Parts: sequence; structure tokens; C-alpha cells
Amino acid sequence: MARLTLNALGKTFGTTTAVAAFSLDVKDGELVCLLGPSGSGKSTLLRMVGGFETPTSGEVLIDGEVVTRTPPERRPTAMVFQSHALWTHMNVFGNIAFGLRIRRLPKAEIASRVGRVLALVGLEGYGKRQTNQLSGGQQQRVAIARALVLEPKILLLDEPFASLDQHLRERLREEVRDIQHRLGITTLFVTHGQDEALSLADRIVVLKEGRAEQVGAPAEVYRSPATPFVAGFIGSMNRLPGSVEAGRFRHGALELPLEGVPDGPAELAVRPEHLVVRAAPGGGAASLRRLTDYGTHRIIDLETSEGARLKAQVADGADLPQGPGLQLEPTAWAVFRNDQVIARSPA
Amino acid sequence: MTKVRVPSGAGESRGPLGLLLVAVPVFLLGWMTVWPILSGLVTTLFPKDAAGFSLELYDRFFSDDYSLDNLRLTLWTCGVTSLILLAVSVPLALYLRFARGPLASYVQTLAMFPMFVPSIILAFAFIRVLGPNGTVDTILNALGLAKIRSPYLTVWGPVIGLVWDNIPLTVLILTSGLGAVPNPAIEAARDVGARPLTLFVHIILPRMWSSIFVVISLTILGLFTAFTLPYVLGPASPEMMGPFMQRTFSDLRNPEMALTQATIVMGFCILFGLFYVRSVARNRRD
Ligand SMILES: Nc1ncnc2c1ncn2[C@@H]1O[C@H](COP(=O)(O)OP(=O)(O)O)[C@@H](O)[C@H]1O
Ligand SMILES: [Mg+2]
Repeated sequence: MARLTLNALGKTFGTTTAVAAFSLDVKDGELVCLLGPSGSGKSTLLRMVGGFETPTSGEVLIDGEVVTRTPPERRPTAMVFQSHALWTHMNVFGNIAFGLRIRRLPKAEIASRVGRVLALVGLEGYGKRQTNQLSGGQQQRVAIARALVLEPKILLLDEPFASLDQHLRERLREEVRDIQHRLGITTLFVTHGQDEALSLADRIVVLKEGRAEQVGAPAEVYRSPATPFVAGFIGSMNRLPGSVEAGRFRHGALELPLEGVPDGPAELAVRPEHLVVRAAPGGGAASLRRLTDYGTHRIIDLETSEGARLKAQVADGADLPQGPGLQLEPTAWAVFRNDQVIARSPA
Repeated sequence: MTKVRVPSGAGESRGPLGLLLVAVPVFLLGWMTVWPILSGLVTTLFPKDAAGFSLELYDRFFSDDYSLDNLRLTLWTCGVTSLILLAVSVPLALYLRFARGPLASYVQTLAMFPMFVPSIILAFAFIRVLGPNGTVDTILNALGLAKIRSPYLTVWGPVIGLVWDNIPLTVLILTSGLGAVPNPAIEAARDVGARPLTLFVHIILPRMWSSIFVVISLTILGLFTAFTLPYVLGPASPEMMGPFMQRTFSDLRNPEMALTQATIVMGFCILFGLFYVRSVARNRRD
């Protein structure tokens, strides 16, 4: 199987820097998600691994072999595109068999390999269908089958399910995870959806403007975001501006003890599920604005005495008083200053 | 396919004004196209000398070797011009579709250039460059090389001129046909191992056929009635149908025969016109 190494990979288009000195080691059989907002350089990075874009600096290694300038047709990678990548003048079988036919494999072997991979993506018996007779989800399954049939060392997926609806996206995501586990294929998966990354990845790379903000396991990226950007991009996050004075973070009536942090402005980041809200008879830090019932959980919208808006996840919420009189207690949090973590809640 | 649905409100305004707007083109079509066709058919099928219906004029055309030679030459020119035109334009269109950068836009401008040059100027430029004692001749002579046999006044004269004249439209149509092949489809083919030739034959060409058919039928329609280039650059005998019709009409003062020739040419054009309509229809369906 295969290891993928990216060494200080960079790409500029004219004056735009799409990817800047990006390094990453993907272990054999690992699934790494590249997560970032649109324009953060995810596709460019993936396309450099696939050979569709020539890096302006750095190198790409597959199993220790430098492939930086190898054209896509000679790379052991396979790519699944977002859409419009099926050949509409061929049927499903023809699409999947094309790569095998180029390699001049015997007919019987082509048929058996196509059959196997069609079964793998749950499309047995669809070989004779025309591609325009398939639904969006089925088309992406064919695209995945077409990539897998060549038994590539590295599988690359560029927002493969972005144009599908939520339910289908979740189902296909699970299927991809299953297939990837079963085949043990080293995979890079590009997405701009944090839930997709959290549910799929062994490791997540959070990209911002062509640079990695944080690389880590989903739980790590979620629980201990390294920068305010990561904190804000993954999951929902409350951010409270305030200041550190004499070893305490202050935002209005909300106070947190910090150790060994110099005084100055700071920002508290706390997730809705890590914010305990209680009624404070003597008046508190925040007031209740609204309660929304999502079925599985309830979210309350709060406003602090300083005018900042917050969300908190509560079990019930009906018992909370209207008006000012709520006390806030963050159970897990981080404090940032100048885009750096300066303090974290004890684990 | 998206169906265009007329909003229900539009039905009310589709009164006199709508009819009036449609009436003009319909009237022009009737006057300039349908009427001449009918009149041509009637005049040639009921000639003056015969007392009614007679195929005599057509009989005369198809039993006259000279006329048949001219028709044959026209068909040959159509075929050869189309082939050369495709051989030149397909690579050009491919280049324009896939190349990026300043050179590509330069080539694009150059490829469109012939569209803005009138045929008559093209014809004289041709004579100055490729004609006897033209630029090419002079240069070869100066280098002490053999004289070329100039294509001027041979069957190749019109072919070269017509190819040059038709390049812009052909390249335009082919590039727009190529535009229908999405980039991911091409990259996916490279991804599974297709080299450029395989890519062209198996992925690009199948999506290009319909625009190639459109181009061929349009070109041939134009070639049948081409006049200036065959007249100035072509041989005196046999001659292409364009000059032949003109000469029959004004030099031989035989309008009836000229009309017969025109009707025959129209027959061929309708054939290719149907071909064109079919390709376009198939294009739409895809
Ligand atoms: N072919 C290109 N030419 C010029 N700029 C490009 C090209 N491809 C990408 N870019 C630029 O590079 C940056 C990263 O793009 P991309 O990798 O597509 O981001 P993402 O996939 O994360 O949305 C963007 O600013 C984009 O405008
Ligand atoms: Mg992208």
C-alpha cells in the first residue's frame, strides 16, 4: 500500500498564492480530510497530488518516490471530481472499463473487475445504463467505481458529494468510509463541510489561505482548536471579547481564573455544549433571548450585559427566568490572544 | 432539456402586435425564398417551348458532358475543401480550446481574421502571393530553385481560397462544440491513463461529431453557390456551378438553362440542408 508525503508544496497563480509551503505525511491506509472555506487552496493541493497542477515549489512523494512532475496518466493516483466528470457518450460499464481497456487487459478480466467494483459501490446490474439515466448519487458512485477499478495507491476526492442533498451525502459518506476501510486505501478527501470531515477523517487538516492552521484527529481539532479560525470553523463556537486582569479573564460579570497569563485583551472561545447556564437570583452575566428546540437538543440564545450574543445547549431550558439573571459557567474553553491560544481549560 | 413555458400573461399580449412582428420575417421568407423556389420549379418544369409539363431542360443538363463536368468539379471541390478545412480547423480548434496565455488569444485573432477580408481582396492577395511571378515564385527564383506550378487558374485555386475563407466560421463552430466537453471529463480520462491521442479519439471526438457535421453541411451549402473565388481563381473549363450559372445567364443569354442549373444546385443544397437540420436536432437531443 502507499504513503503520501508532501514537502513544502507551494502553488501560485500569477500573484495569488493558492498553497503556501504545505507539508504533510499521510500514512498507509489513512484517510485525511482537507477542510477549509472556499478558496482556501484545497482543490489546488489535491490537484497537485493528482498531477493536474504543477507545483511552483516543493515536492510530492508516493512511497518515497518523487512524482512532482509526473503527468496524471502515469501517477498511481485516482481522482473523483465534484461533478461533470463522467463520459456521457459511454454507458456505466464503458466509463469504468475505459482505464482497463487502455491498459489492454483481457475482456474477461475487464468484465470481472468492473463487476466487482460495481458491486462494491452498490450498483450491481447498472453496467448497461447510460450515465444520464442515473441520479446524482449514482453518478458519483460510478465515478468512485471508475477511480477504484484501477486499484490506485492514492484515492483523491474533491468535494465529491457537494452537489447532493444532505441525506444522500451522509449515506455516501458512510459508504466511502466503509469502502476505504475495507480496501485500506490511502485517501485524501477535500470538503468544506466540517461534519463531513469530523465523521470521515482519521486526521483533519484545516486550511486557511493556503496554509495549514491545524492538523490533528477530529476530536483534537474539535476539542482543542489551535487558532480562533479553527475554533470558529469547526462546530459552533461562542467568542467573547474581554480582557485578562490579574490572573482572571473578564467579560462583564463573567470571570474565569487563568494561570500565568499576562494582562491584556483576550478572547474566550466556548462551545454551546460546554456552557452551563443557571438562574442567578441576584442577577447574572446574561439574559435569555430565545429558546429553539431541535428535537435532539435545545439551544438558547443569550445576550451578555456587554451586548455579546451567545448560544448554549441546555437539557430543558423551560426553568430559566426571562430577563437578566443568568449565570454562565464554561466547562471547557480556550482563551486566544493575537490568534494564539494563551490558556485552555484543564482537561 | 428545459421546456420554455410561456407565462400565461403573455397570451393576452400575443394579439395584433405579435402577429405583426412575425409577419415581417414570414413575408420576407415567402417573398425571397419560397416564391423564387416555386417559380424556379414551375418555370423549368413547364418550359416555354413545351406545351405543358416537360423534363426537357433537365434532360439537356444531364446529357451535356460540359454541364456534368462542371457539376462534378463542384462536388469535388466541396469534398476536397471540406476535408482540408477540417484537417486545418480541428487542430486549431483543439489548440484554442486547451491552450492558455497570450499566444492563444493571438492565434484566435489570427484565425478569425479571414472573416473580415472580402473575397475579392482575398482573391487578389492570392494571385500576388501564389500566382505567376508572385511572392513565392520570386523568392524561389531568387534562391535559384525551380519554379512552382502555380495553383492559380487550376482546380486548386478555388480550393485554397475557399479553405482560407471558411476557416473562421469552422473554427468558431468547432470550438463551441469542444466547449461542450467539460474539463473534469477530460481530466478524468487523463487520470485513468489516457494519453493525448487516446483522449482525442475516445473522449473528445465522440462529443465533436455533431459540430463536425454542422460545419460540413454549412460549408458545402456555401461552396455550391460560391462565386467570386472560383470565378477569379479557378480554371475557365471546367468551371464551378457559381460562375457557370452566371455565364449561362448573362454571356449565353439563356436564363431558362441558368434557372435549371440553379434548381439543380438548390436540390443538392436542400439535401445538405436536411443533413444540417438533422445534425442540429441531434445536437439538441444530446
Ligand atoms: N487555475 C487557476 N488560475 C488562477 N487562480 C486559481 C486557479 N485555481 C485556483 N486559483 C486560486 O487559488 C485559490 C485557491 O483555490 P482552490 O484551490 O480552488 O480553493 P478551494 O478548492 O479550497 O475552494 C483561489 O484564490 C483561487 O482563486
Ligand atoms: Mg475546490
